[in-house]
Amino acid sequence: MQATTPLATPAEAKLIADFDARVKAYYELRDKVDEGSARQTQSKEPEKIEAQKKALVANIQKARAAAKPGDIFTPAIQPFIKRLLKPAIKGTDGQENKNTLKEEKPNVELKVNAPYPQDQPLSIVPPDVLLQLPKLPKDMEYRFVRKHLILYDSRASLIVDFIYNAIP
Amino acid sequence: MTSTRRLPFSIAALTIVLASGALAQQLTLPNKPDSLKFAVIGDTGTGDAHQFAVAEKLIAFRNQFKYEFLLMMGDNTYGGESAQDFQRRFEAPYKPLLDAGLKFYAALGNHDTPNQRNYKLFNMGGKQYYSFRPKLGVRFFALDSNYMSPEQLTWLKQELEASGSDWKIAFFHHPLYSSGGRHGSDAALRDQLEPLFLKYSVDVVMSGHDHFYERIKPQKGIYYFVVGGSAKLRSGDIGTTGLTAKGFDSGYSFMGVEIAGDEFHFQTISDKAVTVDSGVLKRRPTPATK
Repeated sequence: MQATTPLATPAEAKLIADFDARVKAYYELRDKVDEGSARQTQSKEPEKIEAQKKALVANIQKARAAAKPGDIFTPAIQPFIKRLLKPAIKGTDGQENKNTLKEEKPNVELKVNAPYPQDQPLSIVPPDVLLQLPKLPKDMEYRFVRKHLILYDSRASLIVDFIYNAIP
Repeated sequence: MTSTRRLPFSIAALTIVLASGALAQQLTLPNKPDSLKFAVIGDTGTGDAHQFAVAEKLIAFRNQFKYEFLLMMGDNTYGGESAQDFQRRFEAPYKPLLDAGLKFYAALGNHDTPNQRNYKLFNMGGKQYYSFRPKLGVRFFALDSNYMSPEQLTWLKQELEASGSDWKIAFFHHPLYSSGGRHGSDAALRDQLEPLFLKYSVDVVMSGHDHFYERIKPQKGIYYFVVGGSAKLRSGDIGTTGLTAKGFDSGYSFMGVEIAGDEFHFQTISDKAVTVDSGVLKRRPTPATK
């Protein structure tokens, strides 16, 4: 995993490497508990899909019972991520991205390990914005809840971590 | 014409009227035997009376026009994704079509979670973005416009490159061009997708998100449709943008499409069974035939 934005300093490269390792640890844990009745498979029966997802969420919550905000978006990387986002939301072009990010106004309580509420829309994340951020593994996404950035597990529909006020 | 010749004509006309049931209106599509026929719906998942009203017309329309599958422009279930939500907002309104074995190909909207890819009746093959080729010479690209990651763009480029001289039809939730006052054109998405569409000669692009029907004047040779009013309606939302070839924002609607050779025929029908738009588009020359 590597940020598309060229890294300015070795210190920033170190921050990214640390972030990548933390994301990887989550990803591997998620894959480990995505088994048995929690294994996500395709089905014609919505009941089955719902049950599989609930089981996966429960497994992740159990495995990460001690997880807290900042475990993945550490205090060290948060200002760096905010800095990475800046070019994509600056100027006239950036205003378009900002408008897109804020188009949806989901009402979501930011809480680590909490399911993203099913009745709330997910933000659109413009390609320019994604290009600025470190790449994520499969079924892990960056989403925004108003001006806050969340790390979203799209397989479990779960909030993994978040950064308050990631964009102005 | 003698009276003996008139009789079969009258019987044929009567048969069409009877078969059309609730959809007592004229079919403008050519209805050729070997063409590809499909329907397009968008922003459907309300489970309310409007969704059922459009579904009823869609079902009646199939008596006249045997479309083989449907495209869904996203927002497939509003307000939740429990088992009951899928039943109430999808399986119940379209039951006769599902029972007839018709396939629905879904794109994800901003009210859908990526988890919908696992619902087999949406035919997404477990993927947030995918392509399929229901007939030789026609390829569809279903994109996830909520999250246009670099990986998805790379995938799209590869898929378009490999699609050769096929008809290329892309569909996804957020419109690149729209006159909607509530949402409108998504310029950020357009910056990324339009160069690919132009390079690989995409013919037609269909979206939803804005709750009305709009046919956009061709943009750089590409035909764009907004089909986001199949259950939700933003009445009077089409603004004056200069983009509109035909707009319909005073009722709910769906599209019937027929691809026959190099022609793309379309007919857009309202929940009152009125044809609000129809016509034929010629395909763009592909890189191979330019």
